[in-house]
Amino acid sequence: MDASRQQDLAEQMAMLRAVYMARLPAELAELQALAGGLQGGEGDRPSLEALYQRLHKLAGSGGTFGLAALGAAARVLEQRTRVWLAGALDDGYAAARRAFAAELAELVQWVVPGAGERATPSSAIPAAHAAHAPDEAIQVWVMEDDVALGQQLVRQLESFNYRVRLFARIDEAERAAQDEAPDMLIMDVMFEAEGRNATQALADSPALRALGCPLLFITSTDDFESRVRAARLGAVGYFLKPIDIPRLVNRMGQLVEQLSAPPQRVLVVDDDADLAAHLCLVLRAAGMVAEVLRQPETIMEALAGFQPDLVLMDMHMPRYTGPELAGVIRQHDKWTGLPIVYLSAETDLERQIAAMRRGGDDFIIKPVSDAQLVAAVRVRVERARQLADQINKDSLTGLLKHASIKEVASKEIRRARRTGKPVTLAMLDIDHFKSVNDTYGHAAGDLVISALATLLRQRLRQSDHLGRYGGEEFLVVLPECAGVDAQRVLDDIRQRFANLRFSYDGQNFSCTVSAGHATSRHAGPGQEADEALAAAGDADLLAAADAALYAAKRGGRNRVCAAARLPAAGEVPA
Amino acid sequence: MSTLQRIMYVEDEPDIQAVARLALELVGGFTVKVCSSGEEALREAEAFAPEMILLDVMMPGMDGPTTLQALRALPALATVPVAFMTAKVQPAEVAHYKTLGARDVIPKPFDPMTLASQVRAIWEA
Repeated sequence: MDASRQQDLAEQMAMLRAVYMARLPAELAELQALAGGLQGGEGDRPSLEALYQRLHKLAGSGGTFGLAALGAAARVLEQRTRVWLAGALDDGYAAARRAFAAELAELVQWVVPGAGERATPSSAIPAAHAAHAPDEAIQVWVMEDDVALGQQLVRQLESFNYRVRLFARIDEAERAAQDEAPDMLIMDVMFEAEGRNATQALADSPALRALGCPLLFITSTDDFESRVRAARLGAVGYFLKPIDIPRLVNRMGQLVEQLSAPPQRVLVVDDDADLAAHLCLVLRAAGMVAEVLRQPETIMEALAGFQPDLVLMDMHMPRYTGPELAGVIRQHDKWTGLPIVYLSAETDLERQIAAMRRGGDDFIIKPVSDAQLVAAVRVRVERARQLADQINKDSLTGLLKHASIKEVASKEIRRARRTGKPVTLAMLDIDHFKSVNDTYGHAAGDLVISALATLLRQRLRQSDHLGRYGGEEFLVVLPECAGVDAQRVLDDIRQRFANLRFSYDGQNFSCTVSAGHATSRHAGPGQEADEALAAAGDADLLAAADAALYAAKRGGRNRVCAAARLPAAGEVPA
Repeated sequence: MSTLQRIMYVEDEPDIQAVARLALELVGGFTVKVCSSGEEALREAEAFAPEMILLDVMMPGMDGPTTLQALRALPALATVPVAFMTAKVQPAEVAHYKTLGARDVIPKPFDPMTLASQVRAIWEA
C-alpha cells in the first residue's frame, strides 16, 4: 500500500473510531437499563435475549476499535446470558442477576478515551513514509501557574517535538480532561494563586485521575513526605526547580519509548487448527500480533517473514515433535535468543527437562487459562527484549551501539541496492565536546549527549535507525531518504540543538553539532553486486559521510554538509 | 488461479460494516457489496455475483446459517465459498459451522489491517 493510501486509511479509521466511541456511552447506558430492569423470573427472557444480542455485538466490535478489554469483558457477560437463556430462569438466576448488573455497570471502565487510538489500528498502520515528518507528536500537558516558567517549558519541549498545552490553573485542566487526554502530564506541585496543592487536587479530581497517563511532578520542595505523596499518586518523575530540562526530556524520552513499544509478536505452532485459532484470538485480544504456522516444514521461512518475539509450540504434533522443531530453529545463529515455549499436557518432569535440553525455554501446562497464557507470554517477551536491548543498545542514550548500527547500515545499503531506492547515512558530532566535559564535568557531558540522542529520536522517523557511533559521535541511517531531505531534517535538528539551554551548577551553556551525510546513488534492481563489492560499497558510503562531517567541522562547525561526490551503490572507487 | 475480486459482506451492525468495508476495499482492493441483513443478501446476491461471501453469524431476522442455507438454494450461488464471522470461535463451534458448509470462520474482533489477507487465504485454501 502506498503512503497516501495508508494515510487515507489511517484517517478514515480514526473517524470511524471516533463515531464508535461517541456512540458507546449511550449503548452502555441502554445495556445497564436492561440489566437493571431484570425481575428475576421467566418474564426476563425477552430482556435477556436483547442483552445477549447486544453484548455479543459489543464483544465482536470492541477489539476492532482498539478496546480489546471492553470486548473481552462483554464476552464474559454474553456467555453468562447465554447459559441462562439455555435453562430455566430459576432462583439461582434470580440471585445472580444483581452481580451481573453490577459487573455490566463496570464495563464503562474499559472505555478509555484515547486508548482506541493507541491500540491495534494505529500500531498496525505505520506512519506515512513519503513525508519526512516525524511520527505523530506526543501530547503533553503542562500544569504550571508560574506563566514565565510554563512558557519556557513549552518552548523547550516543543523543540523536542512534543505537542504541549499549558494550563495556568488546575480547574482549566480539569475541564479539558472531560473530553481529551494527553500522553503525559507534567504538574507543578504548588499552585500559589489558587492556594491549592496539586497532589491534593489530583487525589480529589476524578477527571484528572482518569487521565491514566504517566505523571511527572515539578516542585521546589524536596522532602520525603512530598515524594511519598507523589509516589502514591503514581508519579514516574519528580523534578526539582530550577528544572533541568535535558534530564526532564531524557526521562520523558524513556516513557515515550515504553508507550510506543511495538506490539509483541507470537508465532503459534500447533497442528490443532481450532486450538491454534483460539490461542491467536486470546493473544490478539491482549494487543499482541499472533500468527499460526500450519506447515512446520516452513518454520524458518515463517520466522524470517513474521519476525516473532516468541514461539508458542505444541509438544506433540503428528510428523515432528516440538523439541525437534526447536532443534532446527537453534541450528540458526540468528535465532538462538528467540524464546520458545512449549504448550503441552506433558506433566512428566523428566520429559519436560528432556524437551528443554533440546532448545525450549519453558513449559506451559495445558489446560491454561487465557489470563495465564497472556501473562506468561508477555513476561517472557519483555525479558527477551530487555536482554536484546542490553546487548545491542548504548546504556546512556538507548541508541544502537557501534557494531549494531554498522550492521544495520550495511543491511539498509543492501536493501537500497535491491530496491533501487536511495539510502542516506549521516554522521553527527557534537562541537567542542571536550571543553564541555572539561568545564562542567562528565555528568554535564552525558546530559548533552543524551539530549542530542533524544532530539534525534524525536525528530526522525520511526523507520530511521540511530546509533551512538563513538563518544560524542552519532551515525544515523535514513532509508528511502534523498540527500535534499536529509539535509533539511538534519539542519532542523542542528538548529534545535543549538537553541537548547543546558544548566549545570547554576551556569548556563549551549552546544552545537556538526553533521555530514552521503546518499547512495540509484542502482537498478537486479544489479546485485557480489559480497566483496557490497562490503566495499558500505565502507565507501560511510567514508563519504565521514568526509562530509570533516568538511562541516573544517568549515566552521555548527553546520550540515553533503558529501561532495556521491558514490554509486556497489561501485568501488579506483 | 484467478484472483479474488468481488466480495459480498453481510453484517447488521453499522460500525463493523464501515470498518470491514474500509479493510476490504482500501487494504484489500476488493469490490465489496455490503448487505445489512440476510434478506437483503438474498435479494442482491444473483445480480452482484460475488466470488466470496462473508456472513455474520448472529443477525436479527435471518441469522448467518439460515442465510447460508437460502443462498445455497440459488443455483448461481450453490458453490460460492462462504466464511462466517463471529465472536465465538470455540473449536466445537467452528467444526459445527464447517458442517453447515462454511469454508472457514473469521473470529471477531478482526484486525482491519489483516482482514483482507485472511479472506484471501480462505478463498485460496
